[in-house]
Amino acid sequence: MRIDPNMVPSLLEELQQSQVSLNTALQQVSTGLSVNEPSDNPTAAASMVQNTIETGDLDEYTQNVSTALLTVQSASSVLSSVVTSLTSAVSAGTEGANGTNNASDLQSLANQVQGILTSVVSAANTSVSGSYLFSGTSTNTPYTSDPASPTGYTYNGNNDTNSVAVGDQTSVQINLPGSQIFSDANNNVIGSLSSLVTALQGGDTANIESATTAVDSALNFVGQQQVFYGNAETQLNSQETFLQQDKVTLSAQATNLIGVNESTAATELSQAETDNSAALAAVAKVLPNSLLNYLSSPS
Amino acid sequence: MTAIAVQDRKAKAAEYLELLRSLASEMEKVMQAIAHNALLDLEESVASQQIMSARLLVLADEISPSLKSNSAVSPAGADADMVQQVQAAGDALQKLNRRYAALLQHSSRSVALMSSLFSSYKGQFKEASGPRLKHQTWSCQM
Amino acid sequence: MGGLNTALLIGIGGLDAAQGALDATSNNIANVNTPGYTREEAQLSELPEYDSANQITGGGVTLDGLQSIRDELLNMQINQQTSLQNAADTESSSLQQVQTYFSSTGTDIATALSAFSSSLVELSGNSNNSAAQQGVLAAGHNLAAAFNTTANGLTSAQTAANEQVPDTVSQINALTQQIAQLNGQLAQVPAADNGGTTQDQLDQAVQQLAGLTNISVTQTNNGETITTGSGTPLVIGNQSFNLQTAAGPGGLEEVLDSNGNNITSAITGGTLGGSLSIANQVIPGFLTQLNTLASQFATAFNAAQAAGTDSNGNQGAAFFSGTGNLSNAAANISVALTSPSQIAISSDGSAGGNGNVANLSAVLTSALPSGQSPANAYAGLVFNVGTAASNASTQSTAIGDNLTQLNNLQGSVSAVNIDEETANLLRYQTAYEAASRVVSTVQVLGNAALNMGSGTSF
Repeated sequence: MRIDPNMVPSLLEELQQSQVSLNTALQQVSTGLSVNEPSDNPTAAASMVQNTIETGDLDEYTQNVSTALLTVQSASSVLSSVVTSLTSAVSAGTEGANGTNNASDLQSLANQVQGILTSVVSAANTSVSGSYLFSGTSTNTPYTSDPASPTGYTYNGNNDTNSVAVGDQTSVQINLPGSQIFSDANNNVIGSLSSLVTALQGGDTANIESATTAVDSALNFVGQQQVFYGNAETQLNSQETFLQQDKVTLSAQATNLIGVNESTAATELSQAETDNSAALAAVAKVLPNSLLNYLSSPS
Repeated sequence: MTAIAVQDRKAKAAEYLELLRSLASEMEKVMQAIAHNALLDLEESVASQQIMSARLLVLADEISPSLKSNSAVSPAGADADMVQQVQAAGDALQKLNRRYAALLQHSSRSVALMSSLFSSYKGQFKEASGPRLKHQTWSCQM
Repeated sequence: MGGLNTALLIGIGGLDAAQGALDATSNNIANVNTPGYTREEAQLSELPEYDSANQITGGGVTLDGLQSIRDELLNMQINQQTSLQNAADTESSSLQQVQTYFSSTGTDIATALSAFSSSLVELSGNSNNSAAQQGVLAAGHNLAAAFNTTANGLTSAQTAANEQVPDTVSQINALTQQIAQLNGQLAQVPAADNGGTTQDQLDQAVQQLAGLTNISVTQTNNGETITTGSGTPLVIGNQSFNLQTAAGPGGLEEVLDSNGNNITSAITGGTLGGSLSIANQVIPGFLTQLNTLASQFATAFNAAQAAGTDSNGNQGAAFFSGTGNLSNAAANISVALTSPSQIAISSDGSAGGNGNVANLSAVLTSALPSGQSPANAYAGLVFNVGTAASNASTQSTAIGDNLTQLNNLQGSVSAVNIDEETANLLRYQTAYEAASRVVSTVQVLGNAALNMGSGTSF
C-alpha cells in the first residue's frame, strides 16, 4: 500500500528515517548475517571497534540530554516565577511610593515584599534530583539567612559551573551560579528586595522610590540571565535530534560492516517498530504501517 | 531522481548481485579445475570470468550516483535489504578472490618450472640413458 | 644465477619469503629462452664415473629421461609446497585460536572499552550519583580483566606453539636417521631396479621431512644429501646429523645444529617453521601492540585522574596499576582504586563539580604516545590479527589446491609428449594471465565504495 506523496510532503524525511530503521531491522532478523571473527572481514572488524564505542556512548549522551533538559527547564521555570514575584514587588513598591499610604499600609506592603523575598530565596535554593540548581558546583545550600549580612542572607555556593557531555566533542553548560543571578553586585535581587522592605518600613517616599527602581532593575537582570537557560534548552533539543540521526547512521554502518546477531536484531526490530509507529502516528493520526517504497527525493 | 531512474537503478543492483554470486561460483569451479589439471575447464571458466567481471565494472559505475548529487535524505532508490545482500556477496567474492590470487601465484610457478624444463629439453642437449638416471642432478637456467 | 637445481629454490620457506621468491620466479619466466643458456651449462654430475654400461646416445631426446626428470621436478615442488602448506596450517590453526580473543564475545577489549567509555559519559551527567561512580569503577575492572584475558590467551597460544618445537625436532631426527639408512640401502640396490622400493621409501621419508621443515635436496652418488635452508647438513650419504633444541633467555625454544649453533632463523618452512614463527614472531608482535596499549592507556588515564580531585577532597590517585613492566602490562593491568569516592570527578576542588570527568573521557578519544587513540590502536591490532589469520588460512587452502594439482600431474602421464606438453603449458600461462586480470578487476570492485545511495559506503 502506498502513501500519497502529496499528503505529508514536509514530514517525509522523518518517516523515511524510521522506515529505513524498520526495514533494516526486519532484514537483519531474517538473514541473521554476522561477521563472527576478525578473519571473516578484518577491515570490518576493525571498524566495528569504533562503532561499538560510539554506539554505547550515544545511548549515554541521549540520557544526559534528558537529564540536562530537566535541569535547564527547571531552572528556567524557577526564574520565571522569580520574575513574576519581582513584578509583584515592584507593584508593591510603586504603591508604597505614591504618598497615599499610612504607616499601617506601608507595614502591610513591607510584609508583602518580605514574603516575596522569602519565596525568592526559597526558589534560589531549589534542588532537582538531589542537586541545587543555583549553588555553582558546591553542594551547600545556596542562600541561608545571616543577620550579619546587609541583605540578611549569605551565599554559600561558589561561582563555578558544570558541563555535561552530550556528544563526542560536545558538552553543554547547564547552570549559572546563584551569585550571578540572585546576588550580583550591581543587580542584587535579594539585596534589592531586602532594601525595599526596609524602605517601606521606613516610610520615606524617596527611599521607597529608589528601592523600587533597584528591584525593577534586578527584575530585568533576571530576565537576561534566563536567556542562558533558554539557549541551553535549544542547544540540547537540537543535540537530541542529532543523536537520533546519528544512531540510525551508526546502526546502518554496523549492519553494513558485519550484520547483526539474532538477539540484537530482535531487540532492534521491536524498537524500530515502536519508533516507526510513533513517527507514523506523529505524522497522521491513522496510517497503515506500510513499508514505504522510495518516493522521489530532492536531487 | 525520477521514479524511472529509481526503478532502473534497482534492476541494475539486482543484476549486480546476481553477477557477484555467479562470479563467486565460477571462481570455486576454476580452482577445482586447476587442482585437477582440467585445462579446458580452466580456459572456459576464465573466459566467463572475464565477461562477468567486465560487466560488474560497468554496472558499478552506473549504480553509484554522482557525488555531486548527494542528498541528505537517506536512500534515494536503494533498498536496504539489497544493500546488505550486495555487501555480503561482495565480501564473499573478495575472500574467494584472495584464495584465487594465491593459487594462481603458486600454480604459475609450477607451470613456469615445468615450462622451463620442457623448453630446455627441446633437443638442446643430450643426456645419458640407463639406470640411476633419476639420481643425477641437472640444471638449466630459468 | 644458479640453475634449476633443487638447492636454488630452498629458502622459500616462510610465507613472506615464498611470496618474494614467487614474484622473482614469475619474473624469470620470461628468461626461459634467454640467450646465454647453452648446452654446456646443463650438468649431469658424475657421468664420467659410470661404468661402461652407460651409453651416451648421440642426438635426440629420450622420453624416459625427460619423464624421470619431470617426475623429479614434480617431486621437488611437492616437497616445497608441502613445506609451505604445513607452515601455513600450523600458523592458521594457532591464529584461529588466538583470534577468538579479539572477537565480540562480551569479554573482549572492544566491548569493555565501550562500556568504560559509556560509564564515563554517564558520570558526566550524574556526577554526584553514587551508582554512576560505582559504574565507572566496575567498568574499569572489566576493562582490566579483558586485557588480562586477551594477554593470557596470546601467551598460552605462544606456549603451545613453543612446546611443539622439541617434539617436532625429535620427529625430524627420526626421519633423517631413517633417510640416512635408506641412502645406505640404496647403494646396495641392483642398478637395473632403478632404485626400486627403497627409492620410494626414500621419497616418502623426504616428503615427510619436508612437511616438518624446509629442506634442500641434492642428488649425489651417495644418495640424497639433505640440508636445511641455510645449508646445515641433515643427511649426507648414510650419515644423519641431529638437530637439538635449547630454551633461550625468554623461555622460547631455539633450534641448534649438531655443533650447537643456533639455526632457528633458518627454519622457515614446515610444521617447525610454522611453530617457530608463531612463537617467536607473530604472537610477540601482537603482545607488543597489546602491552603498549595497556601501558600507555593506564598512564594517560592515571594522569587525567591526577588532574582532578576526588569526592574525599584528595588529588586523584592512580586508577590503574600493574603496567610498570611493558613486557606484561596487559596481563597485569588492574584497578588500583578501592572506592568510587576516589574517582577524580571535580576539577575545581568543589564537592559538586564535574569538570575533571571531561578529562577522564578525553583519554579515550585522544592520541596516546603511539599516535592513535585507544580505540584506533586496538582496532589496528584486531585488523592485524584478523589479517594474519585470514592470510594463513587462504594460503593453506590455495597451496592445498596446488598440491592436489602437482600430485595429479605426478600420477598422471606415463609417456610425455614434449610438444603437446609445451603447448599445454603455454595455454596454462595464457589462461593464468587472463585470470590475474580478473583478480585485479575484482580487487578494484572491492576497493571502490559502491555508493548505492544509502549514504554509507561499503
